[in-house]
This record gives sequence, C-alpha cells and structure tokens, in this order.
Amino acid sequence: MDSTHVTALSSLLQGIRNDSSMLQRFIYSHDLSTPPKFIMKFIKNIPDIVVQPESVEDVLKILEVAKQNRIPITPRGAATSAYGGAIPLKAGIVIDFSRMNRFEVDEDAKLLKAEAGAVWWDIQKELVKRGLSLRVYPTSAPSSTVGGWIAAGGYGIGSLKYGGIADNVASLTIADFLGVKMVDEGLNRFVGLCGSTGLILNARIKLRDFSEDKPYAEHMSIGDAVKAIKSIKDDDHPAHSALFINSSFLSMKNQVKGTDLPEKDTLLLCNGKESNSLGEELWEDRFYPMRIKRLGPSLVTFEALIPLDNVPGFYREAKKIAGSRHGFEIWFSKDWASVLLFMPSDERTMAYSLHWLKVLKLLRLARKLGGKEYSYGLWLSHRSRYREDFPELYEYKREIDPHNLLNPGKFFPEGVVPRLMNLAELMAAR
Amino acid sequence: MKGNVKVEQEALICAQCHYCRVCPVYSIVGWESVSPRGRTFLLKSKALGEFQFNERGVEEFYKCTTCGACEVVCQTSIPLIDLWEESRAELVRSRLAPLPVHERLKQAVEKYWNPYGERVEERDSWMPESIEFTEEGELLYFAGCTASYRMKELAVATVNVLSKTTEFVYAGQSEVCCGSPFLRTGQKDIARKLFLKNYQEWERRGVKRIVTTCAGCYRTIARDYPKLAAEEGLNFNFEVIHTVHFVNELIEKGELSLKPLDLKATYHDPCHLGRHMGVYDEPRELIKRLGVELVEMERSRENAFCCGAGGGVKSQFKELAMEIGITRIQEAQRMADVLISCCPFCKLHLAQASRESSAGVKVLDLVELLERAVE
Repeated sequence: MDSTHVTALSSLLQGIRNDSSMLQRFIYSHDLSTPPKFIMKFIKNIPDIVVQPESVEDVLKILEVAKQNRIPITPRGAATSAYGGAIPLKAGIVIDFSRMNRFEVDEDAKLLKAEAGAVWWDIQKELVKRGLSLRVYPTSAPSSTVGGWIAAGGYGIGSLKYGGIADNVASLTIADFLGVKMVDEGLNRFVGLCGSTGLILNARIKLRDFSEDKPYAEHMSIGDAVKAIKSIKDDDHPAHSALFINSSFLSMKNQVKGTDLPEKDTLLLCNGKESNSLGEELWEDRFYPMRIKRLGPSLVTFEALIPLDNVPGFYREAKKIAGSRHGFEIWFSKDWASVLLFMPSDERTMAYSLHWLKVLKLLRLARKLGGKEYSYGLWLSHRSRYREDFPELYEYKREIDPHNLLNPGKFFPEGVVPRLMNLAELMAAR
Repeated sequence: MKGNVKVEQEALICAQCHYCRVCPVYSIVGWESVSPRGRTFLLKSKALGEFQFNERGVEEFYKCTTCGACEVVCQTSIPLIDLWEESRAELVRSRLAPLPVHERLKQAVEKYWNPYGERVEERDSWMPESIEFTEEGELLYFAGCTASYRMKELAVATVNVLSKTTEFVYAGQSEVCCGSPFLRTGQKDIARKLFLKNYQEWERRGVKRIVTTCAGCYRTIARDYPKLAAEEGLNFNFEVIHTVHFVNELIEKGELSLKPLDLKATYHDPCHLGRHMGVYDEPRELIKRLGVELVEMERSRENAFCCGAGGGVKSQFKELAMEIGITRIQEAQRMADVLISCCPFCKLHLAQASRESSAGVKVLDLVELLERAVE
C-alpha cells in the first residue's frame, strides 16, 4: 500500500488510536520467532497501520473498514508466541488489543470475564486478593494476554489438573464481519485459530479457589517421571502442575544464572507433597524458560504435544536430533505432555537454518509417535490439515470470511509459506 | 551501531518476551516504539542492517527515564540501563543525537558548570552563615546542582545534620555538575570533563570520603566515576556514600540521637538509589528510626514505579514526565498524605506532580525529616 492509501486508511480509522508511521509499523511486524531470512521474503509482514481499539465499537469500525476496502487484519495480544500468529502475511491492519484490558470477577460462579488485552498475571494478582486463582495460565503470564493465549491455544501451568486453555474457557465473545456473538459451544472454531475465524473480544474463564503453591522437586528419569504423573492423575489429587526439566537445561540455567542447581533430570510437582527448596527455586523460575537465550544469542524452539506413554521414547530420539546443546522442559497435562525443546543458536550463521530444519524433523517424529502440533500460527499452518476437524473449520472460515481477511495465513494454509515449510519438512526427513 | 559488539549482542539476546511492559513510559504512551522490547528490536534490526534511525526513531528512543524497571524483570538478564546509555552515546557519536533540549543542557553546563544555566556565584548561596565547613579534609559534602539551585532546603538540611556531628569539606563554587544528565543522555565527552574537574578538586583538598544527598550524584560518582577514572588512567580512591548510609552509621555509633516524629508516610525508591545502586533497606531503616509509620506502596523496592523525571525525560518531554509523576503520586495518595524520597530530583518532580494533580500529597526528602528529628 503506498503512502497515499495509508493516509486514506488512517483517516478512515479516525477516532481510533492508530499509527501509520514506518517506525511503528516496523515494530509491530514480528513476534517472538525469528525465521531464517529467506522465508521473510515471501511475507509482507510490515502492516500498513497499527490500531489500538479501546471498545467493541472501535473493533466493529475496524472490521467495517477492512471489509469495505478488502484489507487484511492481524489481531495481536502481546505477541509472545513463536508461531507467527501475530505476524501479518499480507500487510494490512494490525490490531493491538492491549488497551482492551478490563476484567471482572463473578466470585460466586467462580468465573472471570476478561477483555482480550488483559494480562494473565495482572488478573491473577487481583484474583489472589479475593481468594481465587486461575486454573491454568501460560508460562508467559507476566506479559501474555487472555485473547493472545486463547487465539494461540495450548497448555500451561495448571494443565495437569485442569487441562489446556480450551478446557477452561466457558464462553467467548467474538466479532466478525457479521457482528458480535457470544459462543459457548463449538469453541474449537476459535481456540487456537489465531483469530482467523473471528476476533476474540472477551472470554469467560473458569476459576478455582486459591491455595498456596507448594512446589516439590525430585531427581528422576523421564520414564519414572511419566510413571509418577500417571499415578496422580485422578481429579481429587491436589497436584495441579508437573514439569520435567532435563539435566542439560539445568546446566545451561546454571551457566547463565551463576546458580548451583543439581544438574540431574528433575521432576517438579506443584501441590503434591510439601514444598522443598529446589522445588521453590525451580517454581520461581517457571516464567523464565528463555533465560538460556543468553547462550545463543538466538534460540530455536520446538514444541509439540506427545501422548504420555510415548514421552520417554520421543525424548530419547529427540535428544539425538537436537544434538549436544539443548534443553528440555516438559509440562504435563491430563493426557498429553507439552514437550519444549530449546536450542541456543545464532541467527547470523548458516547453522541457524539447520536448527529450523531440526524442528521440522522433530515434528515428524512427534507425529510418528501419536503427537500433534502445539499451535499452528503462520509457520505450521501446513500441518493444520492433519486435524480431524479441519474440514469443518475450513467450511466455517469460508462462510464467515469469504475474502480471507481475518488473519490470513494463520492456521489455514495460504501463500508460499506452507509450501516452503512442507518442502523443508521433506528435506529434514532425509 | 555497527562495530559495537556489546550493543549488537545484547540486542540479539533480547527474547522479545515483553516482561518489560512494566516500563513507566510504555505504561503511559502505550505504543511499543517506546517500550524496552521495541527499542531492543530497533537496535537489533539496526545491527543487522534492516533499520536506520531517523528523527522520529531517535526521539522515541529517548523517551526512557533509564529507571531500570525493565532490567529487573528481563528474562535474559540484559544490562538494559547500560544498553540504553551506550546506545544513546552511539547515537550522539553518529550525530543523530542529542535532542535539542539535551544539547542546550550541555551548552549551559559548558558555560556555568550546571545544567540549569544558573550563575556559578550562586552555587553556594544556600549555605547558612552559621555553618562551619573546612576547605580541606577527608569527608566532603557534594551538594549537586538540584539541591544547590532548585531544592536548596535539602542542602541546608544536610549541612545542618552534618555540622552537628562532624567536620566536613564543601567545595562551594568549585563544585561542578557531577555529569549525570549527560551520561544518561549519551553525552559522554562533557561528562568526562566534569568528572575531571571534580576529581582534581577532591584530590587537591585531600578528600577520602564523599557524601551526597542526591541519588543521581551518588550513582554517578559511585558507579560511573570509577569507570571514567579508569579510562583516564587515574586511580579512584574515594569512598562514596549516600546521606542515608552516613546517618545510619552515626546512629549505630551512638553519635547521633533522634527524637521520634509522629508521622505516617510512604516511601518512593529513587531509581538511582534503588535499582541502579541496590540501596533499599538503608532508607527504610532510617525512616523507622525516625519513628515514622511506614506504609509501602504496591510497587516498591526493585519494582518501584519511576517518578518520571530521569534520563533526560523531564527536560525534553515535560508532559510525559508529568503524567508518570502524577501516576506515582496517585499511588502514594492511596497509602499516605506524606511521601518521603531520597533524591532532590524526585522531590522536585513529585512535588510538582502533587500540585499539578491537586493530590495534596506532601513530598519530603528524608534529610528534611532527619533535620527535624536531630536532637
């Protein structure tokens, strides 16, 4: 879009906070991921304008302008995912939801009603004052938003007892080109779809009574960790979170923090037994998995959901693919384990692209062992077709967004990126 | 920034996690161009040849009080305060900065040895005639520019306390700006010149220990001067302490006794004393020794919200600084009618913010309370 059109777009959006300066557009063109440079040549990731709605009316006006002028929209929370969900594919409008951040609590019903831009940890701090707590929250809770996590989907802290974010959303208020609707059934049409089927305005989320966290850590192998998890899966067990951290990750943490953590495979359980000092130290650090990026300076991350029984097998094979310099964090949920692998790298070198190929190889391994993608975003949209409900979702998308303006390229494959990623995956398989 | 390994490396290390959204400027402005992660993204992009700073970019880059709130929460432990200062110095070297007002501060200090553009002859006009000080000796009181010209009552209060317990040196009109505003805004050359002038003066007078009431001067002399000295091939053998250290020491030795004050107050951690120098407990100890009922604000100690004045923001972006100051004053207002701080610049700005917002919060420096309590 040339500058005349950008100015025209800015005037169409008059009354809504917006900025079409190159500086702001450049800054709002990325998320946590740093893909190899050649991939970015196929993406128009610099938006034409960034807007910050403050009300539902603002969002509806943006949707109307987008529809009338066939301009793509990219919703954005805190952009703390690394799947490209908040990266524009075809420029257009980036909607930064950070100013829609109000929330209220129904203490009797133990339900939170939060706008899309509310930050998880801000909410939790308020809930604790009222004797309540989130049932699940992401490991990026200090900055990530309600709308952002729901749009990305996935699991987090608390998922051992309460499942993923999808299991904890009671209802969503969605805005699309037809208007605003409240949805409390068929949430699979929205959770994890990056706003490609409608913009999340607010969510009602299930809460629990607050209880002090009592983290307990014990050294054990991944096999024993899985056995331990399977033995505590009944709903009455007080444990809400379980995290396996492997020895090499602890070693890297020691390197960057100057700490003296025992460099042994460790299972951290929250609210199972009484707390111990190692447990408390690791629990305190739960929001800081990327500390080791200092060893990069870049970090390539892999994440997938693996069925519990296959976690030890996956872990064994994945370590071989990852090579010597890696760290695993495995968050357990009810039936799945969210396996995170961190590989320090340097985006200025050729080795960086090879690390990305390793990620694709690991994804194939995950699939082979009954696993699935943690999230899709832009980078893994080519894999959404493996989902059983893909035909239904695709049909819905066509119905409500015939011109593919709602976050194009996210979840639903579009353009060159999915083809490139498919090709790269085939290369990686060799 | 090409060629500067540290800036490039640290910018690349940034995880873009946005935990630094605690930034006071970002919390007011709301656009990521002023957020710490926005700035590291620009630095990284510049280093990789994907971005060039223009006038707007430089201006946004300077909307930072260098308070260090970002550094506390940084996931990858980036020394962000140093990163901002080094990046600004690089912008100055590239002739893209300083900003106009910061340039004028430099012109003022070149002419008058203080950034306020006040006459040198006025620098010691606050000193009460009744106070005796020496020309030479081991302990020096460094008043700083804000207390000398704008918050004279703090300088008076400090010497009133000092003179009751010890002999001290005061350099009077030979004292010059410590250079803090220039180090924070990337103008290292003039800061070096100021350092040398103060250094030579202290050496000449046989000074061994320097006490200052200003948190900004304290940070600069204790943390920046040793580096500047090393760069100049000089030994820096001065012990630098803040008034709170000195007074606590006197009380512990039994050389100073205080009568209790009947007061309820909250405490604002100055960024230069707290996050920059790690001094959190000593002011609180002193406040309690004064018999003051201390009630903490929700954001305190290393998480304290900046007053909004530092890093050249008050001089260049007055409205922004005031909005931040009012936010802090309103936070204090929820806790007490009196706000205590340990920095003349914080006092100056927060008192203005209290008046501007009609908050009715009385802002006092700890040394003023101390003056009242000394028996």
